[in-house]
Amino acid sequence: MIIKGRSISPGIAKGKVIKYDEAFSFLGGVDTSTGDLRVADGNIAGKVFVFPKGKGSTVGSFVMYDLMVHGTAPVAVINRSAETIVTTGAVISSIPMVDMIDTDILRDGDIVSVNGTDGSISIETARYIRTVSSAIMVKGRVLVLHRPDTARSFPGAHSLVSGKIEPGESAEDAAAREIMEETRIPVDKADRVLEPFYVREKDIVWEVTAFLYILDSAEPVLNEENVAFEWLTPEQLKADPKVVTGVPGALDRLLNIQ
Amino acid sequence: MDLTREEESILNGEKGAGAQKAMELVVALGKVYGAENLVDITSAHLSGASYKTIGDGGLKYLEDMVAGGAKVSVLSTLNPVGMDRDRWKEMHITPEFAEKQLRIIDLYGRMGIKTTCSCTPYTGDNVPKFGNHIAWAESSALSFANSYIGARTNREGGPGALAAAILGKTANYGLHLDENRKPTVVIDAEIDGSLFSHSLLGQAVGMAIGGGVPYYRGIKPTLEDAKTMAGAMAASGSVALFHVEGTTPEASKFDVSGLETIHIGKEEIQAAYDKLNTTDDIQLIALGCPHLTVKEVKDIAAFLKGKKKVNKDVEIWFCTSTSVRDQCPDEVRILEQFGLVLADTCMVVSPIEGTFQRTGTNSAKAGNYLPTLCSQKTMCRDISALMEVVL
Repeated sequence: MIIKGRSISPGIAKGKVIKYDEAFSFLGGVDTSTGDLRVADGNIAGKVFVFPKGKGSTVGSFVMYDLMVHGTAPVAVINRSAETIVTTGAVISSIPMVDMIDTDILRDGDIVSVNGTDGSISIETARYIRTVSSAIMVKGRVLVLHRPDTARSFPGAHSLVSGKIEPGESAEDAAAREIMEETRIPVDKADRVLEPFYVREKDIVWEVTAFLYILDSAEPVLNEENVAFEWLTPEQLKADPKVVTGVPGALDRLLNIQ
Repeated sequence: MDLTREEESILNGEKGAGAQKAMELVVALGKVYGAENLVDITSAHLSGASYKTIGDGGLKYLEDMVAGGAKVSVLSTLNPVGMDRDRWKEMHITPEFAEKQLRIIDLYGRMGIKTTCSCTPYTGDNVPKFGNHIAWAESSALSFANSYIGARTNREGGPGALAAAILGKTANYGLHLDENRKPTVVIDAEIDGSLFSHSLLGQAVGMAIGGGVPYYRGIKPTLEDAKTMAGAMAASGSVALFHVEGTTPEASKFDVSGLETIHIGKEEIQAAYDKLNTTDDIQLIALGCPHLTVKEVKDIAAFLKGKKKVNKDVEIWFCTSTSVRDQCPDEVRILEQFGLVLADTCMVVSPIEGTFQRTGTNSAKAGNYLPTLCSQKTMCRDISALMEVVL
């Protein structure tokens, strides 16, 4: 499955991920003769180099060029948000680059295809599961379900009303069906829907399409998939340590809190 | 991004690989900044000229560009390089550095760029007009052009500005657009009006606001004052445009009532001064950041005439452009009794750290970069106070 980001530098490449979790400066950050990182363990030569964003001196663009000349450059770059230095370095060095990717979904050692021309990536070593996740809001509180400790995915976690999209089913139909199955609450049209986002759990990438339903009232009746429910304010939900990764951010976006 | 059919064809490689690469870069940078289209430019000014700053990666990049037949399509000038082309031995430059530096200058020249190598192109070789869209990459020069002239440019990087120069176009965002040229804060300035006080004012404002578009009251900067202010604000902060009530060409367009006002007076100027002064004991006095103008060379010569350099341990560099040096031979002769009048280079982009550890300057811009780019401790004072060390 294809994860959509944004094209920054054209070209197509495939390689093993090496990840760095902080803003990265090519100047001082890497040995150009070997590709060894100086700020962490690892080597970026021939790899798909994943980091949140660039920083530091504008000379960093030329350091990327130097890597390319030495044959120690990464085969592709993936950023959360591109800035000038790495963008310039990637383009002049003909290194495919994609940004607007949530770098948390990538792991060291993943084999990833990067399409810098159309701005997408594909994790070859992960399984994809398409899901929906719905926030049901009543009077400023959101419905949170407690998963059983025996659940196969996210055991014991707290989540929105979620489930898999069946083959041939639209995301919105899946959302309404899951809400009916898990809570017996009838819903009509969603008040808001987000572009899909992704949550990584071991070798699985969950593609999540999030919906917001604002209702006047609702009485949840649970099936066997959940053991309890509660109505939380968005702040309480964010403070809940058991909440599934990605849910607080999705709720912010659904409620348009930037 | 919304590209014309011609721009699209360049991006698709129909006009050759060099133009395609340039378009890829301009478009990629435009995306990063949310540009909707490209805009035609009348000139470019490129940074990334010193071998010290661009290294072997940069040199190879330029070689590959030239091998690919890259040529600029608009008037383009180049920033200072790491040494005076003729006097590099007196600057303690190694032959290896000199050889690579001369190659870099030659490569830029072969792409059609004027290799006068100055950070003040607006005093001679590259003078934009009010309202011109330009792609400039020297932070002090682009701020001067935006502010004192009313031309329009963002803070371009070296390769981005080169790509724009090749295409004659840059991405249309930021300071190319009216709405981003509005003042964001009023600076109520109280200084003694000297050249050095304008440098410290720029330093203090950069420290106070970081970025944004300051609107000054209480000063009447000359070209030299504006030059040093622009350099200081771009180094201590990231200011690329400022307005001065009654002086700069766009200032009268704006209603600044309701904007936050910051007072910069004695206390703030002292704090700026303290930050830039980290030693009392210097080995080099370096003036000309940004490059000395004809007026500055004449003022310094008038100050030094009839005096004698007593302290021979301290070297003095007067950094300017070839054209300024050629314009005032009599004054240059006076300055040469005290130190080197160097063209096309400066203390920041030259590898001075090989020879010196402690440098004096009258420039807040240099005071910011000497510690980070040249590992120097600094003394930042006005010219007469600096010269006391040697007179």
